[in-house]
Amino acid sequence: MKQGNDRAKGRLGTGAMYHLMMLPGILFLLVFSYVPMVGVITAFQDYIPAKGMFGSKFVGLKHFIYMFKLPDIAQVFSNTLVIAIAKILLGTMMAIIFSILLNEIRIKFVKKSVQTIVYLPHFLSWVVLASVVVNMFSLDGIVNQILAFFGLENINFLGSNTWFQPLIIGTDVWKEFGYSSIVYLAAITSIDPGLYEAAGMDGASWWRKVWHITLPGMLPIILLMGVMSLTNILSAGFDQIYNLYNPVVYESGDILDTYVYRIGLVGRQYSFGTAVGLFKSVIGIVLLLSANHLAKKYTDRKIF
Amino acid sequence: MRTKWFIKSKLLTRRLAALSMSALVISTLAACGGSSNPPTAEEAGKYEATPGDPFSAYKDEITVTMGRVTTANPKLPAGDTYENNAYTRLVKETFNAKIKDQFEANGEDYSRQVSLAIASGELPDMMRVDSKDELKELVDNDLIEDMTEIYKQYATDNIKNIYDSYEGRALDSATIDGRLMGLPATSLDSAPTMVWVRQDWLDLLGIQLDADGDGAIKLDDVEKTAEEFLKRDPGQSGKPVGIPFVNTLNTSDYNASAYTMLGVASTKGAFPQYWMKGKDGSIVYGSTTKETKQMLGVMADWFKRGLIDPQFGTRTFDDITALYTNGQSGIAFGPWHIPDWGLSSVKQMDKNAKFTAYTLEDADGKVNVAHANPANQFIVVRKGYEHPELAVKIVNLFYDKLANDKNVETSMPEAAKYQENGVDGSTRPFNIEVNSATSLLDDYSDIVRGIKGEISLDQVRTTESKNNIKSIQTYLSDMDTDNVTSWAKYHSRINGVGLIDKLTRENKFVWMTPAFSGTTPSMKQTWANLTKMEQESFIKIVTGAESLDYFDTFVSNWKKQGGDQVIQEIEDEAASEK
Repeated sequence: MKQGNDRAKGRLGTGAMYHLMMLPGILFLLVFSYVPMVGVITAFQDYIPAKGMFGSKFVGLKHFIYMFKLPDIAQVFSNTLVIAIAKILLGTMMAIIFSILLNEIRIKFVKKSVQTIVYLPHFLSWVVLASVVVNMFSLDGIVNQILAFFGLENINFLGSNTWFQPLIIGTDVWKEFGYSSIVYLAAITSIDPGLYEAAGMDGASWWRKVWHITLPGMLPIILLMGVMSLTNILSAGFDQIYNLYNPVVYESGDILDTYVYRIGLVGRQYSFGTAVGLFKSVIGIVLLLSANHLAKKYTDRKIF
Repeated sequence: MRTKWFIKSKLLTRRLAALSMSALVISTLAACGGSSNPPTAEEAGKYEATPGDPFSAYKDEITVTMGRVTTANPKLPAGDTYENNAYTRLVKETFNAKIKDQFEANGEDYSRQVSLAIASGELPDMMRVDSKDELKELVDNDLIEDMTEIYKQYATDNIKNIYDSYEGRALDSATIDGRLMGLPATSLDSAPTMVWVRQDWLDLLGIQLDADGDGAIKLDDVEKTAEEFLKRDPGQSGKPVGIPFVNTLNTSDYNASAYTMLGVASTKGAFPQYWMKGKDGSIVYGSTTKETKQMLGVMADWFKRGLIDPQFGTRTFDDITALYTNGQSGIAFGPWHIPDWGLSSVKQMDKNAKFTAYTLEDADGKVNVAHANPANQFIVVRKGYEHPELAVKIVNLFYDKLANDKNVETSMPEAAKYQENGVDGSTRPFNIEVNSATSLLDDYSDIVRGIKGEISLDQVRTTESKNNIKSIQTYLSDMDTDNVTSWAKYHSRINGVGLIDKLTRENKFVWMTPAFSGTTPSMKQTWANLTKMEQESFIKIVTGAESLDYFDTFVSNWKKQGGDQVIQEIEDEAASEK
């Protein structure tokens, strides 16, 4: 009797503790994610800060209609999509390839040093990296000096609508692929070494092993990461673009976030900015749900 | 430059975070918005030693938070900052008021900070706003104090006289529904954008600009000089660059603009970004006229020939200043005061640097220029701040007492030292100018007569002129001096204002009076987009991404996407005023 009571109390005790540990996270979510959601009301108002959400006039879908009438909006949307998708695809591919190759390195010291060097840029903010990128890619920067050395024509990377997108995508992949490869490395280590041995017995080449063992073993993680990254499909990276762009490349570089920031916030059209932001979230949700659904349909795996 | 960015961006992140909490902030704001009443003068009096006195101090130390407009090169002595310098210490000493900066930024970053401050409802106690549009918005939102009574009660006679010299235009611009809502900066007609050319390079290459010596040159002359500078690299930097321009290209403010193409515009009689009366009396937006198209034609041609910086559009203001400082470029478009804060860094790097100021004349030999907007900068006080009169008192202190005191050296020694050393005026608590309508040329005549010894230093009207005379005399006695301040003062006053004075006397200016300078209701929604379209279209035309005829597409798009509506509203407003 006494014993059982103790046990019950103990179970309840640890359970309550675990739940208590969730509290900061829940609070964080409430304060920073759920409370601001009330603000989406302003998308349907002519919002005036001093009058607040309750005093401002409701105007229905006015700002959404204005948004779709804007001549640039299609351009901005396609920029956002192109940049975001390219970043996700290339970034994931690079990370997978890198983790597979890194896994082959047997000398611990070399492996660790390579890892550290590749992770590093992830920890620097775009504010810092932007000046590095600008210095490298400006007309008299090192990249153009190399081009000139090979007798090629100089390219104004930061002022060219042809080159700006590749530059944005390339530098972002460079910054992030090392760090995102951590997950894939972990996935590789969890693959049963027996499989490789067996394949070796059967005479499989390195390439065959990667194709038939490593990649299928990583698939759940790849899928998970892919679906998760879809939520961000309309966030093509505000800090990066904000710190690198200029009016010359608005045409190819303006994404929803920078556009909203400039027109909505700097131009003090808060309601309009909120409307675009809300629209962005809605599309994000639709994409996430459909991706999850497709994943379940074709691979029988899903995240929720 | 990048470190500055870093600081700024930290601030930005903080404010963005504040904004994301806006749901909370807004509701609190709404709660207290209605309840706070401005303190009356009597109420304010209970804090002051001698209530109502223009220079009265507070019994207990008070704090005032500010939004500050900074300058790239303020020349503050080591250790001093925008927040803590001779001027802010002077405010502390005189009024027992401590200044704290809520944000510091410059150029477009400053406007962003103001926007964010309004959006998040975290206004500093005092700040400068840079357009009537913003002032109106603050009034509509009931965010700022009515200064009408406070101004009447606290402003000194001198300050009142200065504002009155604009025949009401200055105060009117800050008056909304009969209430004075801010203290306007005065903007005097400071005349054209000048072309500042490296004189030492001209001498080195044996080029004689302006052979007839009238101070006005043609576009051709600029072209040829730019070509020579590019070809022969007199700065020996190894990588000479054509004339750099800011990517906004234009501004509706001649006085505060540098590195714009207004100078080129004036030769074609174009007034981009100004509202003008067309020949038939209707309202026309200057950026859509055929004269502006001609100007863009010139610019596109220059760009093609490499006479304009090939990285045009991508460079920031600071990048451009660096081109001059590095000796890569030697032709700068800018106002008369650009040597004081911009070109002075060239002298710092290159002992031999000298500039001469020219204006650009049109085909008929006239210099076209637009009258300044009555005022487009205002000091506003946050609604509910306990000591709104402090704003007027600070204006009294800096634009009356400090400007006119004959014994500054003894009465305000630290501030006097600043003025002597040419520390930039932006380090004063308010980065504005409050001068009488005729002050530019009045001060010039004082300076010229002072240098010649026709009047004694005690007869000179302002302390600033007195210091300028001393500086210029230093420069004249030794033109190779290391003293950057005296170099700058000579260049801005004698070269810059001197040229304006000369051309005014010779009647060479053709003045355009803007037809409208405010904002209309529909601009609130469409203007941001229209401005973006204008900037993008102009850049594309200049850089050759689009042909010159694209201008017509721009104009028709501009009209369709809200421009026509705005013009209609301006016409209606004008009609209702008649």
